[in-house]
Amino acid sequence: MAHEAVAADSQYNYDIIKRFAVMALVWGILGMFAGTYIAAELAFPFLNFDTPAITFGRLRPVHTTLVIFGFGGSALFATSYYVVQRTCQTPLSSNMLAGFTFWGWQASVLLGVLGYVNGYTQGREYAEFVWPIDLLITVTWVAYFYVYVTTLMRRSQPHIYVANWFYMSFILATAILHIVNNLAVPVSMFSLQSYSAFSGVQDAMTQWWYGHNAVGFFLTAAFLGMMYYFVPKQAGRPVYSYRLSIVHFWALAFLYMWVGAHHLHWTALPDWTSSLAATFSILLLMPSWGGMINGIMTLSGAWDKLRTDPIMLFLITSLAFYGMSTFEGPMMSLKSVNALSHYTDWTIGHVHSGTLGWVAMISFGSFYHMIPRLWDTRLWSKKLVYTHFWLATIGIVLYITAMWISGIGQGLMLRAFDDYGNLAYTFIESVSFMHVPLVTRMLGGIFFVAGILIMAFNVFMTIRTAKREQVEIEAKIAAKMAKVGA
Amino acid sequence: MKFRFAHESIEINAGLLIGLTLLVISIGGLVEIVPLFYIDETIEEVEGVRPYTPLEQAGRDIYVREGCYTCHSQMIRPFRDELLRYGHYSLAAESQYDHPFQWGSKRTGPDLARVGEKYSNEWHVQHLEAPRSVVPESIMPNYPWLSETALNTSDIEGKLRALKMVGVPYSDTDEEYQANVERFGEEAAKMLDIHSAEKNLIAQAQAGNYDGDRSNLTEMDAMVAYLQLLGTLVDFSKYDEGYFAEFR
Amino acid sequence: MPAWLQWMTSMEYSKPIALLIFFFTFIGILVYVFTGKKRKQRLESYKYIPFADDDVSDTEDEQGKSS
Repeated sequence: MAHEAVAADSQYNYDIIKRFAVMALVWGILGMFAGTYIAAELAFPFLNFDTPAITFGRLRPVHTTLVIFGFGGSALFATSYYVVQRTCQTPLSSNMLAGFTFWGWQASVLLGVLGYVNGYTQGREYAEFVWPIDLLITVTWVAYFYVYVTTLMRRSQPHIYVANWFYMSFILATAILHIVNNLAVPVSMFSLQSYSAFSGVQDAMTQWWYGHNAVGFFLTAAFLGMMYYFVPKQAGRPVYSYRLSIVHFWALAFLYMWVGAHHLHWTALPDWTSSLAATFSILLLMPSWGGMINGIMTLSGAWDKLRTDPIMLFLITSLAFYGMSTFEGPMMSLKSVNALSHYTDWTIGHVHSGTLGWVAMISFGSFYHMIPRLWDTRLWSKKLVYTHFWLATIGIVLYITAMWISGIGQGLMLRAFDDYGNLAYTFIESVSFMHVPLVTRMLGGIFFVAGILIMAFNVFMTIRTAKREQVEIEAKIAAKMAKVGA
Repeated sequence: MKFRFAHESIEINAGLLIGLTLLVISIGGLVEIVPLFYIDETIEEVEGVRPYTPLEQAGRDIYVREGCYTCHSQMIRPFRDELLRYGHYSLAAESQYDHPFQWGSKRTGPDLARVGEKYSNEWHVQHLEAPRSVVPESIMPNYPWLSETALNTSDIEGKLRALKMVGVPYSDTDEEYQANVERFGEEAAKMLDIHSAEKNLIAQAQAGNYDGDRSNLTEMDAMVAYLQLLGTLVDFSKYDEGYFAEFR
Repeated sequence: MPAWLQWMTSMEYSKPIALLIFFFTFIGILVYVFTGKKRKQRLESYKYIPFADDDVSDTEDEQGKSS
């Protein structure tokens, strides 16, 4: 039996998954470190050191790009290639094209951040890549789509498992969003600068339609695909309700695209657009929670696993944070709440409860499950997984709490009036108030970075052990062969 | 071919799954974005808004390059506290020539939509070079290199041409120039002529003396010229209080 | 612009429209997914797909059902 499993494994293209997985960790460490550094810059501005390349304005896109596209993107490539091969029981349709997606993606991320520190940016949040890199990403994405679909078509059974639906919708949506939002006219063939095809209101709407759906499909739908495979696998029991997952998928795919304009409440965008977006944001709570319940209930009847399995702890905690931030999100999309929360750190806190709590935690859990299987070994240390879990959790809690205080605090200060109807505080007074929360946020970031460093060490040792075992086995076989030969 | 509706056919047919997913994810964006390009009410009729002069546009490019939008918004909302702090709420028309828009999403620093003419050029230069020398509690980075870096003016014509392609009415022909004279007045129309872009840029910097040093043309000149323009184009005393609310 | 699109952009209609569109699609999917015993059995059988290629060490307790 064990032999059979090895034989089946060897058909799959694990090599590409390994490369993406390692790069996800590399970008994750760099990106989270960059995030912590810019957090420190806000608390202690001398850290900008009068150096253009590391000022906050240039380093912030470096942080977002490295964690979203570097870490998140590579993690999605890795897990989607893993899941599609294993649920379809067929190897990737083209190893060459899959290899191209690896180099194309890594080059895009690397060139992108090198561009930002040198001042080359489109000035659109989460879409700062300059136009030649946008083209490279488009080509890479088409190759990804091709590899994914043709692999799906080679599957050994009629039904396409639901995790693949989520990955598929992520690939499609990202393609549409990326192309439309990056329509631009370059200054010249040899200039990295370009001007976006839209202006003002239309540009704002397009950008936030992109921006929020990057959250919806890149950081949510795709990671739900991860959830629908790795949670059941790690729990050793099938997902709670497959029918619920179908409803979850269609509702989520339909609703998400409407909600982007809630980033533009009270702006010059026509009211009907942002009100419509707010309505759909509230509705979105239903599929979000449906999915969360589906994931968490997978463990129903086996809750004791949480006591003995730190990987399960990562996965279930990520779902809890997913539930929390998908509740907070619709609440913040209400116009009255948004009037206070918009432009403040509350938004930053909300994003990070989603990205650290949900996206990063589910990726960590999935990686701890997947990496030993890729290298056909066991995790080097289970204890370090626990350590990582607690560091990450403490980090997130510090981060979110600090941002609630600083965001709500600043929001309240800026709208406060004195007895005579004058503004009670100047803007700079609210900045001074935020110092302590900003330092706390930085500490939260340090905890989180410490966690991923421990993970990287654990993964490194796991791979090293696996390679040693491999060498030993090969040596044994070689010795046997030599004997037989003699 | 007989077609029987069944979800099953979606589940087992990758092409159909892709098609339907595409359909489902397209609706929301189409309904919300497409009308914005057609409805007249999206952008108000308002006098005074004109495209950026070459120098201001060069300054805006530096604003984008340095990532100012990561900490400063340019979108005042219709609340009493924002009215008192920043001024009249922002109109869609005021950013109609902004490629890309820079409304921002975060106010680590104050809104800049109407910062123009509130402070002197000297204050801006001092503040950009060393923010804490004028606002001790500020957490903004220093931007000393803006005063030390010569402004690159060679590509300004190309920039205006690219902007023209995306719809900003810079003039290339005599006809377009005349149209601009009618629309924005002669003085502004001259500044929007692509052929004299570099000349105009240098002239405006010389006349404005934005960085306090006439002997050289630096990025600081362009940056301050841009900041001093922000929010100054519309004269709100000309309009009734309720006028702009109709467009919301 | 077509009349129906114009109609949709009016403030007062956007919320009812959103609700209606969502409601009917949602009900349709719900009815489809959650009716019929056979359909239930078929749909729920798919949740074992991830276990179809199991290595032994993974899930001792689920082995029976998975193939």
